[in-house]
Amino acid sequence: MSAKRSSINRPPTPDVDRDRENQEPTLQEIINIKMIESGEKERLKELLRERLIECGWRDEMKSLCRKKGRNNVTVDDLVHVITPKGRASVPDPVKAELLQRIRSFLASTAT
Amino acid sequence: MSSKINHHHQNDKTNGQIFPQPCPHLADFHARNGTKPFRAIQDCLHIKPPGGRAAIRRDSSEVPRCGVCGDSSCPRLYACMACAAVSCHVPPHSSHVAIHATKTSSACSHEIAVDVDRAELFCCACRDQVYDRDFDAAVVLAHTTSIIQSSKPENLRKRRRIDYRPWSPDLRERSLMVNNASPIDSMSSSNGDLPRGLRGLNNLGNTCFMNSVLQALFHTPPLRNYFLSDRHNRYYCQSKNGVRLCLACDLDTMFSAIFCGDRMPYSPAKFLYSWWRHASNLASYEQQDAHEFFISMLDGIHEKVEKDQHKPRSQGNGDCCIAHRVFSGILRSDVMCMACGFTSTTFDPCVDFSLDLEPNQGSSMKTSSTKTNHSCNCEADGMNSSQNCGISTLMGCLDRFTRPERLGSDQKFFCQQCQVRQESLKQMSIRKLPLVSCFHIKRFEHSSVRKMSRKVDRYLQFPLSLDMAPYLSSSILRSRFGNRFFPFDGDESNTLNEPSSEFELFAVVTHTGKLDAGHYVTYLRLSNKWYKCDDAWITEVNENTVRAAQGYMMFYVQKMLYYKASEKQGTS
Repeated sequence: MSAKRSSINRPPTPDVDRDRENQEPTLQEIINIKMIESGEKERLKELLRERLIECGWRDEMKSLCRKKGRNNVTVDDLVHVITPKGRASVPDPVKAELLQRIRSFLASTAT
Repeated sequence: MSSKINHHHQNDKTNGQIFPQPCPHLADFHARNGTKPFRAIQDCLHIKPPGGRAAIRRDSSEVPRCGVCGDSSCPRLYACMACAAVSCHVPPHSSHVAIHATKTSSACSHEIAVDVDRAELFCCACRDQVYDRDFDAAVVLAHTTSIIQSSKPENLRKRRRIDYRPWSPDLRERSLMVNNASPIDSMSSSNGDLPRGLRGLNNLGNTCFMNSVLQALFHTPPLRNYFLSDRHNRYYCQSKNGVRLCLACDLDTMFSAIFCGDRMPYSPAKFLYSWWRHASNLASYEQQDAHEFFISMLDGIHEKVEKDQHKPRSQGNGDCCIAHRVFSGILRSDVMCMACGFTSTTFDPCVDFSLDLEPNQGSSMKTSSTKTNHSCNCEADGMNSSQNCGISTLMGCLDRFTRPERLGSDQKFFCQQCQVRQESLKQMSIRKLPLVSCFHIKRFEHSSVRKMSRKVDRYLQFPLSLDMAPYLSSSILRSRFGNRFFPFDGDESNTLNEPSSEFELFAVVTHTGKLDAGHYVTYLRLSNKWYKCDDAWITEVNENTVRAAQGYMMFYVQKMLYYKASEKQGTS
């Protein structure tokens, strides 16, 4: 992670109290990195976006956000309010499809 | 909880889009650094896959992780605009980016950061998203380096808009009017409660398809005004060109007959004969398609005018004839190669919008969980929710019309950049709205494969007022690039020149019955009352009757008309 630009300040030195560096990366982290590197994460994100638009979930979330109003609302407010409702209202078939895709990805990259 | 800072109360409106004023921290960042950091970020903007979202990465394979806790799976990671440090933001648990912002010193501000996965600016001090034109310009530029910007259609030159000037006749004009015109007797007394211009049309043998469209045209405001103000004089036209076939002259005759005040049903026999001579393949006593007749009639009016005055073929600006002046708009079609992102754009004129009815609406929601259905509030949330509840709406059809469509592997498009046929994504949008929009719903399906035709009876909900803004090319392009503040598609920065995209419904042509044995009826809206025109019978009806009818062609007129400076005086 070298700083290529000289017109901006260098990245700050890492905090000393980072003991994560000494630990082995967790399984979750390994999977996440593998998914990003192979591009699978991006593909899954696109698939999820498509499914959620198709079933009307995104429009529902949009109208929920609009209900909150336009003034005196920050992004953090909206995320805080929407996240539990959004998570709860994802249709089961969509969840199942994504899980299936992740399973097959893991199976294919198992070494 | 985050504090609410009311710094967005002053917005300025550009291109119909409200642009929020920057927060003090963003303004400060701008003042200190100018636009350099936003342009520098262009190197880090990666669009993956072609045509996808913009993301911030130092190199294309970077896996961003929080500099403090090492988390790379956090959904919101921000990179500081000052020092490129990446931090996570998980309110209300922890926000390493907010801690990072406190490092702001007099020399350098660490308050402005950019979301690495969404390429959107965030102010860590205000804990809210902020917007900057230069940043958005950089993002759009990153998207469009592979797109060769096609030039605007040359014929869409913008004529200078002029203000309305009231007019009243002088003495000479007054005497002209008195000598050559006769006053119309006052409406309220004699002709009952029907307004002027309502007159039944006799059915001459399965001609309801023609009668219904004619009724709609008689009350199309710009068309009605054109003919009633003698812009096409049938006597002058025929004396100039001999007794030749001219559909506009026959239309002029009919306008005079319809608006003269006589309430006896009129027989449009001469017009029918003229139209038969123009469209000889449709000349029979069989039932025809109303939409086909509409197109054929507009074409007939255009053809005759073109022959007479050697005007150019319609290019969407409506300079050729009154039919195109009223009905023609310009459609934009973008075809994007899925492999390299290269987009090819074409502009085509159109006189109406033919929309498909959505297939089996509501089936996708049937398989979704019941929780979603319970939280779906059909009445309060407007048309989008009604789509979830299974009702087809006109706006839903327009959404489908302008939705990006994947062209299948059997329809591969030749990409100029790749030099091979590739799978592509096609998206339609409206470059220029016509004065009057005619929406034709494709209810008659003809399958050449199965050699059969069928009619789609599904109900379509249509609004009385329609805002076409979301279907304009500028809106479609804006959302394609993630809702950036950027002048798209040749937008003018002066909002005064922004034409209105609001339309009002004034006529509905409905079809009842089967494919081969059906009947067309037109509902007209005059002074906010609805009238049913069923061949020779005209009756006033309730608005709900119209709403419940099966719409086949819906006519909407622009709410606000503007005057444009004329190129020559006294044009017809």
